[in-house]
Amino acid sequence: MEGKVRELLDIPANDFDVVVRIAREEDIAVARQMAKQLAQELGFSLADVTKVATAVSELARNIYRYAQTGKIMIRKRLEENGGPTIEVVAVDHGPGIEDVDLVLTKGYTTYERSLGIGLSGIRRLMDSFEIASEVGTGTVVRVEKRRRRF
Amino acid sequence: MDNNRLEMLVEELGASEQERKLWRKLLREAVSGAGGNELRQALREPLCDLLQELGEVNLGAKLKFVIERIPTFPTAELLPLILELCGELRHHSEQTVCELEHMLSELGAPIIRVWTDVLLVPLIGGFDSDRAQALVERLLERASTTRAKVVVVDVTGVSTIDTAVGGFLIEMFSAVKLLGAEVILTGIKPEIAHTLVKLGIDFRMVAIARDLEDALRQAIALLEEERKQRRQIAWAQGSNFSGEGEEHHDT
Repeated sequence: MEGKVRELLDIPANDFDVVVRIAREEDIAVARQMAKQLAQELGFSLADVTKVATAVSELARNIYRYAQTGKIMIRKRLEENGGPTIEVVAVDHGPGIEDVDLVLTKGYTTYERSLGIGLSGIRRLMDSFEIASEVGTGTVVRVEKRRRRF
Repeated sequence: MDNNRLEMLVEELGASEQERKLWRKLLREAVSGAGGNELRQALREPLCDLLQELGEVNLGAKLKFVIERIPTFPTAELLPLILELCGELRHHSEQTVCELEHMLSELGAPIIRVWTDVLLVPLIGGFDSDRAQALVERLLERASTTRAKVVVVDVTGVSTIDTAVGGFLIEMFSAVKLLGAEVILTGIKPEIAHTLVKLGIDFRMVAIARDLEDALRQAIALLEEERKQRRQIAWAQGSNFSGEGEEHHDT
């Protein structure tokens, strides 16, 4: 587990189409806008564009709330089978999460004004969801969404 | 470096007549043999124009190409100048963003009285915590002073509702209800509806209307219902005067 966090924290930013640094509340909107644009470029349906944008908004807000600073990295991937995919990686060197499973429980929150459905909500919005966290090192969340065929 | 070769390079670099003109100007100054401050001064203007015309990434790629072609190109002089110009441009755009933000907060969200005892709040754009806070305060103040009975919240102008915005809305609805007013929510777009369900944000606490017309109809129906109840009470009080009198004796 620990090795995985380190490994994921060191994902090179160069490989991504967009890297948004999250440090202020306004940056959340920037990250969301970028995600929206890339999803649109890949030809996602309006519903899926909204889902991706909402998930990124959620991820960026988590960084801003719990780690203060971090970054959102987004890339388009064109795969042979499975079709165009958007991949989002949220990285922070914040306090980390002690019990990842607990955080993924619906309704759990350490933030008083939150609904506690953020992370579990992201998982439902996206096709794949991966989280790695270590107390004192940081947290990485990697999510993907495929373009659906109609 | 002779004019011919320079012209060929310009031809390769510039996609349009305007770009070619800018490159010609820049390259002439760069190979003029001047140095130090003088060179920097001369390069400044064409470089600034090119930066605005091409953007940072494109300009970088083209400059790399130039540096490979012209061994005597004053790269060292150019670098700090580019950084300086980028900084200026960024500062400028930051200022614009700042002004726009200011304008946005001034635009705010209007609270419109659309009918007797009915307030309409059309929400537009994103909501950071400051804007959300200011809006809730203003709405509660207004709902309380006008004694509004129904508040219609229209989210047509909101492009994404994440858990933070959802949480803010729920908070706002609860507060309005505590003031004794009903809330009707309208303007949820189909793509947002799906996202809200996936996220598990529940707006069942308020009435939902398909569109503003429907919302207004619901609002008026609510008001009618209340008026009817009030008439009934008045009638009951009138015909049942003795009952009330008995109550008087009891106390």
